Amino acid sequence: MRKRYRLPALLLALSLSVSLAACSSGTPSGSTAPAETGAESDLAYVQDKGTLVVGITNFAPMDYKEEGSDEWVGFDADMARAFAESLGVEVEFSEITWDYKVMELDAKSVDVLWNGMTLTDEVKSSMDTSVPYCTNYQVLVYPKDRAADFEGLTSLEGLTVAVESGSAGEDAAEALGATTVPLQAQSNTLMEVSAGTSDAAVIDVLMAAATIGDGTSYADLAYSLDLNEMQGLEPEEYGVGFRKGSDLVDVFNEFWSGAVADGTVEETAAAYGLQDAVILE
Amino acid sequence: MTILDVQNIEKHFGETKVLQDISFTLEEGQALAIIGSSGSGKTTLLRCLNFLERPDQGRILVRGETLFDAADPATQREDQVRRKRLHFGLVFQSFNLFPQYTALENVTLAKELLAQESPDYKADKKRIHEEIRAEGRALLAEMGLQDRMDHYPHQLSGGQQQRVAIARALALKPDILCFDEPTSALDPELTGEVLRVIRGLAEQHTTMVIVTHEMAFARDVADQVVFMDGGTIVEQGSPDQVISHPREERTRQFLSRYFQG
Amino acid sequence: MFFTSQEFQTVAAALNSGFLKTLQIFFITLIGALPLGLVISFGSMSRFAPLRWLTRMVVWAVRGTPLVLQIIALYYVPGMKDLFTWPSGETGRMTAVCVAFVINYACYFSEIYRAGIQGVPVGQQEAGLVLGMTRRQIFFKVTLLQMVKRIVPPMSNEIITLVKDTSLARVIALQEVIWMGESFMKGNQGYSGLVWPLFFTAVYYLVFTGVVTVLLDRLEKKLGYFR
Repeated sequence: MRKRYRLPALLLALSLSVSLAACSSGTPSGSTAPAETGAESDLAYVQDKGTLVVGITNFAPMDYKEEGSDEWVGFDADMARAFAESLGVEVEFSEITWDYKVMELDAKSVDVLWNGMTLTDEVKSSMDTSVPYCTNYQVLVYPKDRAADFEGLTSLEGLTVAVESGSAGEDAAEALGATTVPLQAQSNTLMEVSAGTSDAAVIDVLMAAATIGDGTSYADLAYSLDLNEMQGLEPEEYGVGFRKGSDLVDVFNEFWSGAVADGTVEETAAAYGLQDAVILE
Repeated sequence: MTILDVQNIEKHFGETKVLQDISFTLEEGQALAIIGSSGSGKTTLLRCLNFLERPDQGRILVRGETLFDAADPATQREDQVRRKRLHFGLVFQSFNLFPQYTALENVTLAKELLAQESPDYKADKKRIHEEIRAEGRALLAEMGLQDRMDHYPHQLSGGQQQRVAIARALALKPDILCFDEPTSALDPELTGEVLRVIRGLAEQHTTMVIVTHEMAFARDVADQVVFMDGGTIVEQGSPDQVISHPREERTRQFLSRYFQG
Repeated sequence: MFFTSQEFQTVAAALNSGFLKTLQIFFITLIGALPLGLVISFGSMSRFAPLRWLTRMVVWAVRGTPLVLQIIALYYVPGMKDLFTWPSGETGRMTAVCVAFVINYACYFSEIYRAGIQGVPVGQQEAGLVLGMTRRQIFFKVTLLQMVKRIVPPMSNEIITLVKDTSLARVIALQEVIWMGESFMKGNQGYSGLVWPLFFTAVYYLVFTGVVTVLLDRLEKKLGYFR
């Protein structure tokens, strides 16, 4: 079989060395700094390609689709559209896996994260963030018929609590002594409670208000308890995430204060029931 | 006229010498039987003739043309070996029919592939194809397989498969047809039909080299017998001389073991 | 009637669009990995030792690490290291997923091919040689079909596994059918907290693996005419 394998073998060697090169450059090479946009302007990069790619998840009332519609709407989606317009580019929404949001930014698969993102210390250390624009707190979700066991708790010790991996809810549940079950999405935590595989779940109050109670598959669940208050913490704040060192942050902050001043923010927030949560100063 | 001239063939597998100083000649139209115990080098010799093994020493000539010379790399070029192989046909112990082809397709496949290389193939495709198939049918009929042409190998008995294999080797009209223990893989009751075919070929003066354990058959059919032991030729001559009246002690020992059982 | 309800219509439309992507991954992987696997198998049987070793190392690395990890690395690392960026949005995610799947499955297929090629008796090749056939002719006219017959059963297993493995694509937010099923839990198109769509995706997989199984069985039967 000597002769016949030579050509395919050559082709193979070629394709392998290419893919190996791609892999080897993936191994950490001493520096662990996230991809800096460096001297290049992120603004120029976005304007150059003509689209602002907004990393989101399906998260009412921030980014979601109305029934029978394929268009992203919500407080964040509408404002993102306005922001892109102010830059003179098209907006493109890209659903992402929230766990990988930092990689999505660094790999330039998205340009901003704009999805009711809580400004935790972790978030602030791994990306540049905008001024806060919305407040939120974490709540405990539990089966309605066992409400008496949960109301008035001051600690979550001894409870198995489902949380979204990497979320503010996970931090809160851990701080209050719960045994946490980290899952891929906030929604999955509700299934755990509904199925009885976890005692309770911790999610954003904004999400809880939208997905729990009569008229949903989770009619048998209820929520109460402001976990931020329980820990003596300030409510959380939402912000928009940018690549480290991006000059888009300043551009955004300027856009936002303008939008607050001319009433766009208040008007849009009211359309999605967020008039109490949005920050107008 | 001398058709095959084998001179001083030597072959090693690593440290082991499998063939040593093998020389013999074969006249056109004659049958040569090679006998000897397993491991004596008979099969390796046959494989050398068919270019399945490359000898380390020696020369192989067919009709006076040097097909192989261990000392001359020019005779060993891969692209020429293929054509040189066509001087020889080989019938394997285990048939090695192509299982996905019918008996007839087994016989015609190689010939059709060869025909595609001839310059007038494109113009005359249909006729050439038909000719090859007709020849194939005639060969299978000669082997007594006229009603088995469209059977697949697994639908045939061992004896029938070996007869297809013989037809397949004959289809290319080799100068010398080689048999590597053609009946060893067969049930005893099936050897007769294969030996009958080979006997028929001998009667038509087909030039053959037959490695065999069938001593009675070798004595009846062969014009010349070679006895090999330990990679060397111990004795060669007429069947009467080698099988019936062996001069060498090793030949006598082998034959006595053989005829006892 | 549930199946005519607005809820079912909306969910089914979303699942259909997700399943279309599942199919896309499946077929692109097959079309890419079937020939690439053969090339890799030649590499792993090469007489040129360095190539043989390199190929076997790569096959080992690819088969020895989770496909999920390969997808994540392939999608994010190039952009993070400023090598290149995938096209934006769905196109880029689909491309990266397909590249990862093709490479991964080609490595699995290559081992099946290798076993298939090496399983064809050497006598078949020798028979071709003594009949004056070229190595190329021997491969295509003699060995190939026997090899195909040998590899169909193990290949069927891999292909069925591939159908289900497509769901791994959602790790980089490619919206295949499971992703769409999950989307109605957290909220999508006005429905939230719906659990049944996720489990309903099983119907899609069952129907599809059923069809694939029938087709592969038919191929196996078709090759049953010889032994």
